[in-house]
Amino acid sequence: MSIYDSILLGLSLVANIEAFLSLFIGIIVGVIGGAIPGLSATMAVALALPFTFAMAPINGILLLLGVYKGGIFGGSIPAILIKTPGTPASSATILDGYPMAEKGEAGRALGMALWASCTADVVSNLALIIFAGWLASFALNFGPPEFFALILFSLTIIAGVSGDSLLRGALSAIAGLLLATVGLDLVYGTNRFTFGDPNLMGGLNFIAVLIGLFAMPEVIAMAWDPTGHLGKARSLGKAWVTFADYKRCFKSIIRGSLIGVFLGSIPGIGAAPSAFLSYSEARRTSKNKANFGKGEIEGVAAAEAGNNGVAGATLIPLLALGVPGDVITAIIIGAFMIHGLQPGPMMFVLNVDIIYGLFMGLIISSVLLFFVGSVAIRGFRFVADIPKRILMPAVLILCIYGVFAVNNNIFDVGVMFAMGWLGYAMLRARIPAAPFLIAFILGPLLEDNFRQSTLMSGGDFTIFLRGPITWFFWALTIVTCIAIVRGAGRARKAQKM
Amino acid sequence: MKFTKLMSAAAFAVGLGATAAWADYPERPINMVIPYGAGGATDISARTIAEPLGSAVGKPLVMANVTGAGGATGSVAVQNARADGYTMLFARVGSHSVNPAMKATLPYTLDDFRFVTVYEINPVACAVSPSSGINSMEDLIAKVKEGGVTYSSSGVGSLLHIAAVMVLDEFGVENPLQQATHIPQKGGGAAATAVLNGTATFLCTNSSAVASFVANGQLKPIMVTTAQPVVGFDAPTANELGKPALNQLVGWTGIAGPAGLPDDVADKWGAWMAAATKDAGFLEKMQARGSVIELMDPAAANAFIRGQYTKFRALVDRLGMRIEG
Repeated sequence: MSIYDSILLGLSLVANIEAFLSLFIGIIVGVIGGAIPGLSATMAVALALPFTFAMAPINGILLLLGVYKGGIFGGSIPAILIKTPGTPASSATILDGYPMAEKGEAGRALGMALWASCTADVVSNLALIIFAGWLASFALNFGPPEFFALILFSLTIIAGVSGDSLLRGALSAIAGLLLATVGLDLVYGTNRFTFGDPNLMGGLNFIAVLIGLFAMPEVIAMAWDPTGHLGKARSLGKAWVTFADYKRCFKSIIRGSLIGVFLGSIPGIGAAPSAFLSYSEARRTSKNKANFGKGEIEGVAAAEAGNNGVAGATLIPLLALGVPGDVITAIIIGAFMIHGLQPGPMMFVLNVDIIYGLFMGLIISSVLLFFVGSVAIRGFRFVADIPKRILMPAVLILCIYGVFAVNNNIFDVGVMFAMGWLGYAMLRARIPAAPFLIAFILGPLLEDNFRQSTLMSGGDFTIFLRGPITWFFWALTIVTCIAIVRGAGRARKAQKM
Repeated sequence: MKFTKLMSAAAFAVGLGATAAWADYPERPINMVIPYGAGGATDISARTIAEPLGSAVGKPLVMANVTGAGGATGSVAVQNARADGYTMLFARVGSHSVNPAMKATLPYTLDDFRFVTVYEINPVACAVSPSSGINSMEDLIAKVKEGGVTYSSSGVGSLLHIAAVMVLDEFGVENPLQQATHIPQKGGGAAATAVLNGTATFLCTNSSAVASFVANGQLKPIMVTTAQPVVGFDAPTANELGKPALNQLVGWTGIAGPAGLPDDVADKWGAWMAAATKDAGFLEKMQARGSVIELMDPAAANAFIRGQYTKFRALVDRLGMRIEG
């Protein structure tokens, strides 16, 4: 069968109103779900899953993919407007998106988020369609030692998001690492820091920590000083994103997309680390380095490109190997199974129509996302005009509702408030929250892969240098660390002068 | 979407006010807790039975995933719920026979639950990577004796963990904990990936979890633990290999309530399940995924789970696998 036939077969599945409608509804649900704090993209996909059981396989899967992509973009809306990541992947967007909103440039930030998301989406989808087989076999080379080296390198992002003080950033990261150890020990299965409470056995809920760390301090600060913000510019502002902005950020967007594709195609990492890595790379290479964290549009572009770049690429291990790439694709693989589809190499032979239908649906989804996103920005713009003292109580209620809904567990709401006070204390002490979050995500991955590696080798540490991939990331880590130390030294000299 | 949340809130509110005679049970929606994540084997199984079961019950079933700690978080939520039949749990082999057998500090025991049914049995298959050069259990055991063999699991206290140990033990490997190395992963997908990419030598897991890898030729099955062969798995059964004791090593899904569940309620569940499992659509979907539908009434379900637990517990105690911390 030629490619031409395959495409025709795919078209026969996708070129109908139901397929378009499922994709369209999926994206709308995703954008709204992502935009509600606490109701992450993962939740939105999980909630949509049962609805797809009764649909035709291709429509059901397209619906879920729409929710996924919409959700990852939608998460940037509250991140920019109210400093609350709608979904973990959009935490990096806060770093520059929220300062822009404070300056009255929310519209510009949201516009750039959409453009960067859609561009990254296209790159990611193309990577899936063209390089799926190649990237998947490359990803299979990633065993625990390779993962360990990659995660170790990713931890250097912390320096890039620490702001003015590396020491404060490191402090924040250590706190994150510490809290990430709560729960069951991977290798021995013993309880760690659970204090006899069954609720802590599963570890601290990630969404609860995320919301607590970013949204709650704003709410507490508002309660502390209800009129402090009066007189400051808020509102969406007149400034919209321009083509010149897009052109200036284009390099960062493409770099972010490629980072997303790379990290997305390796199972087990997810969109949040990719967004942070893309952000810190953009900052490192930018001419406006000093402006990052203070409302630099390139930061928003890089973060959003980094997380949406993952969305198409996580389907690479899913379709080519049958292995879910992250939490969301683990849910989507359920939809495949419900319909008796077995993702993997044979699917490219047995269900070639569905594969090509999916490819085409994905391409269409980028376009639909652009339109739905544009409308969503216009709809949510009013949020920026709502006075903060009315907005914040509403945010609080949404957060409580959302965090409870993640796991139907009231304990998580308590975790959110506790983390909120910690976040507030950190805010007052000018300790950045982003390193905490990165450490909280990457810490367990680092530990697990370290211990799996040593189990594999029987305690022999040379396994961490077992192949070119590990050498590459070790070298990268060392080079980056040297650059950080030299940068810090230069900054100190500059201060003395 | 919000509807289910509203329903559960409404159900909760009604529950505070009413103490009903059991004859009227159920007079409001029933909360069904799934202790594992969306899209996983338990979730899919639960949502497939929920359709015919809902019509048998006559009241809505409100499905909620409460995940964490290998099914313990959701199980504790039901353990602490009122035993009025309005909060029930989809219990699974991992949460209710392996974990209680292995983990001393688990906040619940089997005595905290009353099983009303087991409706699904999942055969267990052991598989290796085709490039490993292992073609049979015999090859595997020979390799284990040479040393350096590893097996992956979805975590400590999971079915996969005890399955690998039990299989090695049955095949005469002395001290399987020292002879082969356990490399725990986070989740069943990661466990299969570990064998795919050579991190681990083999795994023993539910046949449905590796069915797609086997169909795609990425994994090679070397044994199934049931007495009957499993469709799509070109591998001998445990009985053919002379190890019928392994028949007890199977996955299952059942429904349980808190310990004090009244007899009337349990009987009603028995009748509902009998009706629901006859549904043609349900049977077709479950069997397509490799499950064996085997309905047990409340008494049989309790006996079956106790039997499996006792077997696992004996193995755990003999090999010193009990986790005390």
